[in-house]
Amino acid sequence: MSVWSPLHPAQLVFGLVIWSGWFVLLYGGLSVACEFAPPPDKRGAVTWLNGVMLFCGAILAVLLIWLARRCWNAAPAHDDGDGSGRFIARIAAAAYLISALAAFALTLPSVILPPCV
Amino acid sequence: MSEGTNKPAEELHEELERVWGNKPGWGAASAVNHTTVGLRFLITGLGFFLVGGLLAMLVRTQLALPEQDIIGPELYNQLFTMHGTVMMFLFAIPVLEGAAMYLIPKMIGTRDLVFPRLSALGYYCYLFGGLIILSSLVLQIAPDAGWFMYTPLSNAEFSPGKGPDFWLIGITFVEISAISAGVELVVSILRTRANGMALNKMPIFCWYILAMALMIIFGFPPLILGSILLELERAAGWVFFDVVGGGDPLLWQHLFWLFGHPEVYIIFLPAAGIVSTLIPVFAQRPLVGYRWIVLAIIVMGFISFGLWVHHMFTVGIPQLALAFFSIASMLVAIPTAIQIFAWLATLWTGKVVFRLPMLWILGFLIVFVAGGLTGVMLALVPFNWQVHDTHFVVAHMHYVLVGGMLFPLVAGFYYWLPHVSGRMPSDTLGRWGFWLFFGGFNMTFLLMHLTGLLGMPRRVYTYDAEMGWGWLNLLSSVGGFIMAIGVAVIILDITLHFRFGRKAKSNPWNADTLEWATPMPASAYNFASLPDIDTRHPMWEHPNLPETIEQGHHGLSEVMYERRDIFGSDAITGKVREVIHLPTNSWLPLQTALMIAVVCISLLVKVYPLALVASLGVLFFALRWGWHNGAHPVASPWRDDDPVDPPLHSRTFDGPGLWGMVVSLMANGTLYVSLLFGWFYLWTAAPQWSVPEEAPISLWPLLASGLALSAAVLIYRFAVTQLRNGSDAHLQKMLWIAASLGALHVGLLAWVLIAAPLKPSDLAHDAVLSVMLYYLLLHAGLATIFTVLQALRVRIGYVSLRLPYEPVVVQPFWIYTLGVFWMSFAAFVLLPMVWEVG
Repeated sequence: MSVWSPLHPAQLVFGLVIWSGWFVLLYGGLSVACEFAPPPDKRGAVTWLNGVMLFCGAILAVLLIWLARRCWNAAPAHDDGDGSGRFIARIAAAAYLISALAAFALTLPSVILPPCV
Repeated sequence: MSEGTNKPAEELHEELERVWGNKPGWGAASAVNHTTVGLRFLITGLGFFLVGGLLAMLVRTQLALPEQDIIGPELYNQLFTMHGTVMMFLFAIPVLEGAAMYLIPKMIGTRDLVFPRLSALGYYCYLFGGLIILSSLVLQIAPDAGWFMYTPLSNAEFSPGKGPDFWLIGITFVEISAISAGVELVVSILRTRANGMALNKMPIFCWYILAMALMIIFGFPPLILGSILLELERAAGWVFFDVVGGGDPLLWQHLFWLFGHPEVYIIFLPAAGIVSTLIPVFAQRPLVGYRWIVLAIIVMGFISFGLWVHHMFTVGIPQLALAFFSIASMLVAIPTAIQIFAWLATLWTGKVVFRLPMLWILGFLIVFVAGGLTGVMLALVPFNWQVHDTHFVVAHMHYVLVGGMLFPLVAGFYYWLPHVSGRMPSDTLGRWGFWLFFGGFNMTFLLMHLTGLLGMPRRVYTYDAEMGWGWLNLLSSVGGFIMAIGVAVIILDITLHFRFGRKAKSNPWNADTLEWATPMPASAYNFASLPDIDTRHPMWEHPNLPETIEQGHHGLSEVMYERRDIFGSDAITGKVREVIHLPTNSWLPLQTALMIAVVCISLLVKVYPLALVASLGVLFFALRWGWHNGAHPVASPWRDDDPVDPPLHSRTFDGPGLWGMVVSLMANGTLYVSLLFGWFYLWTAAPQWSVPEEAPISLWPLLASGLALSAAVLIYRFAVTQLRNGSDAHLQKMLWIAASLGALHVGLLAWVLIAAPLKPSDLAHDAVLSVMLYYLLLHAGLATIFTVLQALRVRIGYVSLRLPYEPVVVQPFWIYTLGVFWMSFAAFVLLPMVWEVG
């Protein structure tokens, strides 16, 4: 079974791996951006950097929700006897959904906080 | 896989005991059996717990009244440092690992863990490392910079004694044990479950341990790297954390808490696993929301890695970055809450039997929820700033760790005690122990929240009377001593029960999991025959399993050639794929651990030639270990009547060794990524980062060495592909060529290192670069040696088309070595060139 199959156990963690990558990118990217191209403090939260973070966070959340739907839809069609496929697909769908919420939640402070202060 | 035997049960038992049992007398030191090793971990951990507790009592004695001078500031610093160190590193994690090692094979219906010698090595590393750390206390040179060893306080200038060296070297030694347990448990859970035990049929405890083990794999390497770097700075003067040379002390904090925060969950998850196992038993109904809990475990395992900076809220990080970690810290409460609601729902819908272990579970629910709530408070940045480094944080930490780990652990001790001893503990003494501990604990730490809110900082050895903290501290100290009496009563109960406890009946708590189908006390082989399992509640649905297992009605009930055989199964479905032959009792783990101990002690006393010789000794024993594998006469030489359906694992391409290698490389990769993080962190954040005027590494020789390595890996891969396609015609020749190219790569790399004008004592840039080069050299050297040994084994006949297992295991190591080489080339050589041009 391919690791990309919605029934593969790797799907249980893919969403959260993506979330982790996003977290690292967000924290690391913010540090690098503030070091090399900091937006002016007086702009507050209305900066290109905040905009990029929010936009990317929203795109990522949509992608993760799509992946959650893919797993959820795959689940009922694949009852493999011992039930492990359905079990994996359902939990993977929930994990993708939580990852989507967590990814977007991480970016929410960008709405109100200046990036480099 | 239920082909039974007609052999009488006694005869079968004697045969299995002969094969699986430990050697008598001193020979017991060569035991590798998981039951023995697991119990050793537990007993040793208990010993360290008593030492840690004694240190806490001394601390509380000193703080009981204001302006006391019973213990001076120097000793006080050593005491709180060692208390935290002992409890976190020598008690909490190892004891839970020991419990997991003891229970997991029994719960998944097998006879041992998949790498028994690794279990034994882990134990000895833990024991020797722990003794090295404790010896510093006896020698009165214990570390005194706090259990998280912040630099610059812990550097050679401000801590010139040997205390931090004992901590750094000793902890790294102990962490070998944690990593080996992590690898062992992951592969065992995924690859050796009973036939038919699909992932969704696994006991919930196994999910928790799987998550814990994976978290160890990814969580410990940052601290191992940090410890190595700090020890290099202290002993050799290399610059990593010193601002003057371009380092940054905050890098240590990042590396420490990258480990330190997940560690809290590494401790909590197995304890929560105990709770999720016990509650259904005492509620006499299946766990409510099994899938929800599995989801919560997975989510918690990940999100807990995103919280580390909440220990660093006061170090001057931009507000928005703080908010990321604040949000993540609040998010982690969600999976915790899912579990708590599932436990409450199970209790609500069940018929709860209030036996002794349940009392401790109840205590856990109260104390841990309180600790979780103060955790949410601390996740809020402004509140965190207010109470940072006060007794409030100390109180919160103890509520979370003692509530989240010790209460469930004691519940588990009482629950599984009959399994170990065959006897029941005293209910009366047990209840006394609980109430004393519970009352004393809350008296100590509930009040400590208030002490902290009133402003008492942590880690001060005394305070003025007019501060008004005296009565709170006195009550906390009295509570601490009541708690200690509670511990004494529990120990008395457990000790007495071995002699006076009434005999336990089979499955005394009417549990549902498979460990209760083994004999009590547990035998060396667990199961006389290995049953098929198609349910989460085998003991409820098949209550006669203990009898049918003992009578040999299930799989692997015949002993073949005195081998220790278990089933290897598919990671998802649990269907049997092969028979795994395990190594028997061995002195190699003890010999290897002793050699590592010599390395550590030599480094401590700075006798570096001896450290070098002992390192070669470690390499020798490790290679000897690898040599006694597969078709070697002491393992399982080729025989014409070897089983074919399923085959022996060493006759396949996908045995547990391959899984062990991949999981080990995950840990190794995390260490490497931590090094990369350090490099980029210093580059972007160190206040005085500077680079040499000319790039210190010669580009073309490095590139040439990379090409040699790439060629070696290609040839090695080609050899393995040929083997997979059914041909071993030129296997030996190709392995020799790959090894030669590997040697060429090592030579060129060594030349690059020697020729480079690196000044690691002056510049952090050069220090990190040097570590990277040594890392690459070590890996390339090991890959080359492994391949030489493989070629020799082909010549002798231990590796062939019929025995293809080992080259497949070594292959990921080559690929990893190649991957980190080119990644390093990009990150350490090419990227700086681009930046400089920019």
